Amino acid sequence: MSDPKMKFLVVDDFSTMRRIVRNLLKELGFTNVEEAEDGMVALQKLNSAAFDFVVTDWNMPNMDGLTLLQTIRKTPSLKSLPVLMITAEAKKENIIAAAQAGASGYIVKPFTAGTLSEKLEKIFEKMGKKAA
Amino acid sequence: MSDFAGMEDLLQDFLVEAGDLLSGVDNKLVDLERAPDDRSLLNEIFRGFHTIKGGAGFLNATELVTLCHLTENLFDKLRNGELGLTAETMDVIMAATAAVRDMFSFLEHGSQPPAADPGLIEHLRQAIAGETPASGFASAGQAPCNERLVAPTGPLAGEPDWPGLMGALTGTAPALSSAPESLDVAPPPAMQPAEQIIKAALGRRTGDKANIGAGGRREGEKARDNTIRVDTARLDQVLNLSGEIGLTKNRLNALRSEILNGSSDTDTLQALDSAVSQLDLLVSDLQNAVMKTRMQPVGRLFQKYPRIARDLARNLGKDVELVLVGEETEIDKTMIEDLSDPIIHLIRNAVDHGVEDPADRAAHGKPTKSVVQLEARQEGDHIVILVADDGRGMNAEKLRAKALEKGLISEEEANTLDERQSFGLIFLPGFSTAGQISDVSGRGVGMDVVRTNIRKLNGSIDIRSELGKGTTFVIRLPLTLAILPVLLVRLGDQPFAVPLAMVREILPIEPSHVQEVGGRATMVVRGEVLPVLPLVGLLGWDQENPPEYGVLMQTAELSFILAIDSFAGREDAVIKSLDDFRPKGVAGVTTLSNGQIVLILDIKELLGDSGDHRGVSKAILLGPLAMAA
Repeated sequence: MSDPKMKFLVVDDFSTMRRIVRNLLKELGFTNVEEAEDGMVALQKLNSAAFDFVVTDWNMPNMDGLTLLQTIRKTPSLKSLPVLMITAEAKKENIIAAAQAGASGYIVKPFTAGTLSEKLEKIFEKMGKKAA
Repeated sequence: MSDFAGMEDLLQDFLVEAGDLLSGVDNKLVDLERAPDDRSLLNEIFRGFHTIKGGAGFLNATELVTLCHLTENLFDKLRNGELGLTAETMDVIMAATAAVRDMFSFLEHGSQPPAADPGLIEHLRQAIAGETPASGFASAGQAPCNERLVAPTGPLAGEPDWPGLMGALTGTAPALSSAPESLDVAPPPAMQPAEQIIKAALGRRTGDKANIGAGGRREGEKARDNTIRVDTARLDQVLNLSGEIGLTKNRLNALRSEILNGSSDTDTLQALDSAVSQLDLLVSDLQNAVMKTRMQPVGRLFQKYPRIARDLARNLGKDVELVLVGEETEIDKTMIEDLSDPIIHLIRNAVDHGVEDPADRAAHGKPTKSVVQLEARQEGDHIVILVADDGRGMNAEKLRAKALEKGLISEEEANTLDERQSFGLIFLPGFSTAGQISDVSGRGVGMDVVRTNIRKLNGSIDIRSELGKGTTFVIRLPLTLAILPVLLVRLGDQPFAVPLAMVREILPIEPSHVQEVGGRATMVVRGEVLPVLPLVGLLGWDQENPPEYGVLMQTAELSFILAIDSFAGREDAVIKSLDDFRPKGVAGVTTLSNGQIVLILDIKELLGDSGDHRGVSKAILLGPLAMAA
C-alpha cells in the first residue's frame, strides 16, 4: 500500500524538528520529502505541486497547523489529502479540535519511527478502504 | 562520554535554533513588560516555549521539557486571559527563562541538565494555579513525563463523543481499547527506547559514533560554535560561480592545447587574455560569495542585550530602554562571537555608569527614562557599532584626576592630554571611574579588556562624550577577517605585508628632509611633524642600507612614517593564521602570486605599548654613511 515514492510535505517552523521528521520518514523508506516553515508556505507549495501526504506541526507563526488543515479540507483539489498532525500538545480539546477539522492522525512529540510507521499504516489502510 | 552520543548533529541544530528562539523570547518579555496585554506577544512567547519543549523531548532533556511545559502552560493561561500578568508572575517568567538558558549551557557541554530549582518550579505552579486551582498538575512532580497525559478535568463542558472521535482519528478500534483511559494517540515513549530512536532517526551507526566520540569532539567541548546557518541563495551563488570557474578552466585547457600545438596567432592570445581576465573576475566573485556565507546579521547578537539591560536597570533602580538599530547589518560570524562580551560590557557600563538615576535625571530636566542605543551600520569596508547613552557624559577633568591619583599617568602627561585622549584613559588597565565598585561593572578590568578584544579583531574603539548629554562608544571593525587588502613592502629582498587600511600614502625619504626632534628622526608632511620609525628597528634587525621610502601609517592613536627599502604593490591577502606559533608583531602569513610566503605584520603589536613610540635618532635611521654624505 505504502508507495516509497509518495511525496511528503513536512510543515514545522522549527527546522530541527523538520529534520527529525524527515529522518524518521527516511528510515521508513520515504525519501521524497519537502519542507515548509509554516502553514502559509505549505499552502503555496501544495497549490503549486502535487503532494501525497502532509505532516504538520500545530503551533506555527503566520498560519498554524489547524488552520492549514481546515484550509486543506475546504480546498476542493486538496480536500482528500491525508494530514497527520504532530504536536507537543496532548490536551484532549486539541485532539478533538484536530479530529473535528478532519485530521487523518495525531502524534504527540516525542515519538519514534515505530509510532510514525504505525500511524501512517493506519492512515494508508483507511485510504485504501475509501478507495475500494 | 557525552549524554548525547550519536545525537550531536541534532543537538547542535537544536541549540542554535532554540538559542535564537530563547533570545527572541527574552526580547519579547522585555516588550511584554511595557504591553502586558498584548495577545500576539503572549502568543509568540507561548509558541517559543512550546517549540523548545518539542525539540527538547527528542533530546530526552526531561528537565528542560518539564520547565518549558510549565512556562508554556502559564503563557497559555495568560494568552487566554485566564490569568493577568502581575509583576510577581513576570519575575517568575524571567527566572524560568534564565533557567532554560542555564539548561542550554549544560546541553552545550554535552550533558543532560539537572532539574530546575524546585523553588522555581513551585513558583511556576503557583502562578499557574493562581486562579485555576483545578488544573491537573498534582502528579506532575513525581512523573514529569506523564503530566501531559493527565487530562484537564474542568474546562470541557458538554463533552463530545470522545471514543467516536478517537476512532475517527486513529482509524481502528483496537488501539482505543488498549488504553481507553489515557489520551493514547501516540504517547511519548519511555526514556530508554527514545534514545535509540533518535540515534536511529539520525541515521548514524554506532561504529561511526564511537569514532567521532574518540577522535573528534572532546567531552565538555562547546557544542554550538562550529556550525553556521547560510541562506541557500548564497550557497547557490557559490555553486554557480564554481561552475563558471570550471567552464573557464575548460576554456583555458583548450587554449593551452592550442598554444602547445604551435598556434600563437592574435586570436588565440586574445582568447587567452579574455579567459584569464574572466577567471580573475570569477575568482574574486567567488571569494566575495564565500565570504558572504560567513556573514551573519548582527541582530542575532543584539537580541540578547535588551534583557541584560533590563535586568541590570531593574537591579539598579533605573528606567532604561535599550534601542536596537541596524540589526540587519551583517558581520563575519567569528567577529559576532568575539564581539559579544565587549558589547555586553559597554551596555553594562552605559546602564551602570552612563545614565543617571531617575531622580537625578528629573533634577536635570531630563526624562526619567533613559535610552541606551545599540546601533550597527556598514560604512564602506568597515562595520561601525555604536553604544550610545543619554546619561551624564564623561568629565575629562575628573578622568585625568582619577588616572593621576591611581598613578596610571604622570602629572606632566595629564596636562598634555586633550579631551579625547582623556576619555581614552578609561581603557587603561586598573582604571575604574566609579567611586565604589558595583557588582555589575566597574572592577576596572572591563574597559581594558574591551579594547584588547576589539583590537584583536583589527578594530578600534573611540569615545565621544558631552557632559550632561551622554556618551557614545564607537567601535570600528573591518568587514571580514578572512581577506585583508595589504601593501607589500620590502626590506632588502624580504617582503612583508602591512594592512592597507592603515596606509595613507607612500613617500620617498630624502636624508635632507629628515629632521631630528628631541633626539628622534622626524619628517614634516604637509605641516605635520611625524616620527620616522624604521621597520628594521621594529623587527629588531640591523640596519644595512638607509631606507629609501616611507609609508605614512595612521592608527587611531598615532600617525608615523614606516621606513622601508622599497615596496611591491598591493594585494588581497588571504590570511593563514599561525595557530601554535605566533611571533610578536606577526598577524599571520599569506602566499603571493609567485608562491612566495609573506608575513603579515601586526603594526599595533610591533609598536608595542603606546607611550614608547620607539623613535630612533637620525643617525640610526640613516646610518653613519648617509650622515657623512
